[in-house]
Amino acid sequence: MDPAETMLETARAAVRLAERKGAREAAAGAYRVRNVEVQWRDGRLERVSEATTRGLGLELYVDGRYASVSTSDLRPEAVDRFVEGTVRLTRTLAVDPYRALPDPALYAPQARVDLDLEDRHYQENTPEARRAVAEGLESAARAAPGAEAILSVTTSVGDTFAETFRVHSNGFEGSRRVTDFWVSAQVSVQDPDGRRPEDWAAAAARHRSELPALSDVGGEAARRALSRVGSRKGDSALLTMAVENRAAGRLLGSLLAALGASALQQKRSFLEGQLGRKVASRLLDLKDDPLLPRGLGSRLYDGEGLAARPFKVFEEGTLASYYVDTYYGKKLGMAPTTRGPSNLTLKLGAKDRAGLLADLGEGILVTGFLGGNSNSTTGDFSLGVQGFRVREGRLGEPIGEMNVSGRHQELWPRLSAVGNDPYRYSALRAPTLVFERVQFAGL
Amino acid sequence: MSAGTLIAASAGGVVEGSATARPAPDGRPGGIHYFARFGVTEALIAEALAAALSRGGDSADVYFQHRVTNDLALEDGAVNRAYAAVELGVGVRVVKGDQTGYGYTEDLSPSALRACAQTAAAIADGPSRAAPERFHLAVRLPQRYPLTLRWDEIGSERKLPLLDGLNARAFAADPRVRKVNVHLRDEAGAVLIADSEGRLVEDEQPMTLLALSCVAEAGGRREQGGYNVAGRAGFEFYGPERLDRVVREAVARTTVLFEAVAPPAGEMPVVLAAGSSGILLHEAIGHGMEADFNRKGVSIYADKVGKPVARPFVNIVDDATNVGARGAINVDDEGNEAGCTHLVENGVLATYLHDAISARHYRVTPTGNGRRQGYAFPPMPRMRSTYMLPGPHRREEIIRSVKKGIYCQNFTNGQVNIGAGDFTFYVKNGYLIEDGRLTRPIKDVNIIGNGPRVLEKVDMVSDDLEIDEGGWTCGKDGQNVPVSQGLPTVRVSSITVGGRGA
Repeated sequence: MDPAETMLETARAAVRLAERKGAREAAAGAYRVRNVEVQWRDGRLERVSEATTRGLGLELYVDGRYASVSTSDLRPEAVDRFVEGTVRLTRTLAVDPYRALPDPALYAPQARVDLDLEDRHYQENTPEARRAVAEGLESAARAAPGAEAILSVTTSVGDTFAETFRVHSNGFEGSRRVTDFWVSAQVSVQDPDGRRPEDWAAAAARHRSELPALSDVGGEAARRALSRVGSRKGDSALLTMAVENRAAGRLLGSLLAALGASALQQKRSFLEGQLGRKVASRLLDLKDDPLLPRGLGSRLYDGEGLAARPFKVFEEGTLASYYVDTYYGKKLGMAPTTRGPSNLTLKLGAKDRAGLLADLGEGILVTGFLGGNSNSTTGDFSLGVQGFRVREGRLGEPIGEMNVSGRHQELWPRLSAVGNDPYRYSALRAPTLVFERVQFAGL
Repeated sequence: MSAGTLIAASAGGVVEGSATARPAPDGRPGGIHYFARFGVTEALIAEALAAALSRGGDSADVYFQHRVTNDLALEDGAVNRAYAAVELGVGVRVVKGDQTGYGYTEDLSPSALRACAQTAAAIADGPSRAAPERFHLAVRLPQRYPLTLRWDEIGSERKLPLLDGLNARAFAADPRVRKVNVHLRDEAGAVLIADSEGRLVEDEQPMTLLALSCVAEAGGRREQGGYNVAGRAGFEFYGPERLDRVVREAVARTTVLFEAVAPPAGEMPVVLAAGSSGILLHEAIGHGMEADFNRKGVSIYADKVGKPVARPFVNIVDDATNVGARGAINVDDEGNEAGCTHLVENGVLATYLHDAISARHYRVTPTGNGRRQGYAFPPMPRMRSTYMLPGPHRREEIIRSVKKGIYCQNFTNGQVNIGAGDFTFYVKNGYLIEDGRLTRPIKDVNIIGNGPRVLEKVDMVSDDLEIDEGGWTCGKDGQNVPVSQGLPTVRVSSITVGGRGA
């Protein structure tokens, strides 16, 4: 039997085993993943890691009670003992009337599109080719103007081939095969004052042919790191903030954390009761789209087997949908949507980053966040930032060791511009975002 | 990005967890005991190491891991969910100079292990080297996780009342409490490390963590907070005093937020309370002292050993020996002895945190900091329990010395850029200091500084060192490991507070 058939059979067998041991319903997920990563540093190979890994997860519904388990020990006798032990454990828990597999009606219809998530040329990739890419990324970084200040370049090249299988006792069966390819370069440079600032660039794609040119990634990492030399802390002030596309996902992500049904039901969401209300500038127009061909977050069914469909999360600033799974949906009396985001796309503006900076005049461009946190219960956030001062519409000196603070309820209504430059290498395809009157802390 | 992160446990986050494993009694001499049940023998290991060295690597090791994790969670008044996870696998590493080849598998059969070792061997390209056939004990294990009630002997019927009791007490503690989540985790299992020097060691590594978080409502406002405790211990960890503290602190830290104000924005003196404020050390110096970053020349602390970095009364250690601490280890994940390492001694930068590769590079003895998340990951230099030793000042004296500043008490997470040295930590609870007194509570504020500059500004250190009992997890290069941290009350004369008040 080919390994994929074996893992599908493992999932089916786990469901049957759970039922035999006393579960009324069960869902199993099995995976088999091949991971290869090559890391290169300063002219030589640093680390090569390669493995094919597998595992099994199982959700058990026993006498109105619930438990979920996972194991990488797939020896049949070990799985048998594990499931038996877990069924016994589940029987000791409190009854939970809201626990059940999803309504089978929601498993269909799955979209009839080819998401094209598997690169059929995956097997053609060789250790030599990966090494050559890793080496090429370093050469590109060292070809950047000002490269004399470079202390070290680390690059990495990796790919994944993943097969996952999901089987539910009430009729769902799904399987998917996806490939992922990524490259990254990280560059450290010498600042004359003794600091050794670093920055990175990376790219990821479902198909190897969609990765950008090595010179783009390596060169960008070097340019970014070199531009950090001489960074200073600026004054504390209320300023216009532009957030670069690849950093903007952090802000959107902390907003989305308040949209989950579990946060709503547990009173940990500042967006509770806001459905259909305007909570942001009309420029916040965000769609969850699981059906984008080759998308990094694309899927035909979600983690619960529900058929995936695109929907609006925010429509012109109005909250259009929460993320509702089966369990918390039942607790809240809400119909399930999906448990969590797939691909997220924002309605784009007309201008690129340079155009947005020219319009904003005076402010700060944030190119990266450092630590910090966001409180989904109250909407408070406070995040470390680095980036550049923007003066007269152009990039000025690098700034660092600064912080932005506020409340999401006040930040998103102040979204004043959206770029035309979505970040391609994340499922969250954020463009550059501009916010008015943001509190920066520094000197 | 060379960034390290640190995250506190919370009852919201879900984990996995369990099964039953019966480890061998403590104190046995060398040989394979625990892993014998999985068919692991010296012959199997010898064969794997021979395959690993088949292309001329300098050295090789195998790392077997079995970990059984159990989680019970209480929500909406009932323990209505359990998670259990079994991890069983082996990683094979081949080292050639400072280059690493790595492979891992969940299949412990001789053929799978051989294939995995051959994958790792490909880092080298030369004639094969001889591998050992017999193994001896790598290190005598100290007993740093003594426990009386083993997790594999504690059924859920003994754990459930603990969660139910905490829930009832949290609601009884304050009428404003509206939601309570309790999460109890226990881990049992062992690791086996054997290497091409013929060294072999097995270590059973228990762990437990309890987190209580609550949401309170008052006057149309909601606040969320909590408290968590963790250690390498058994069920006996949960004595009445500790449980009292969990409820009291979780409720107090939540309800005080109703009075909290936004602190001012900008540079000001900051006093760090004894205990979890050790997060400052973890971010400001700990990661930067991990020797891999220095070997590569990308840390802001590269080339600074032997130079003064702080006042003479500042002493900072990274210590594997705190009995029962979450960050304690008997032996590191490369089979090396783990002791107490001085990062800063009398204000002078003393020793990097080494794994075997960096120790060879610097020609020093490994410090026992080679750690890994699990069998799927090669080891690298990591912290264990990082803290500052007591200093000459008194807590009251330190608070009294500040005219306008803040006092930080409780933290959720931190992060650092190792090369630029900029780091942050997020303050969940604290107070304003006005004219030498703690006045109004503050909340939800990030603090940002630069490691070496902030160390220079540590100008008062109290005598009240506390090692925090919380469940901290350190992230680096995609690998998470459990750590501890501690601090006496400390004053930093000036650092940027990411507030938004005037």
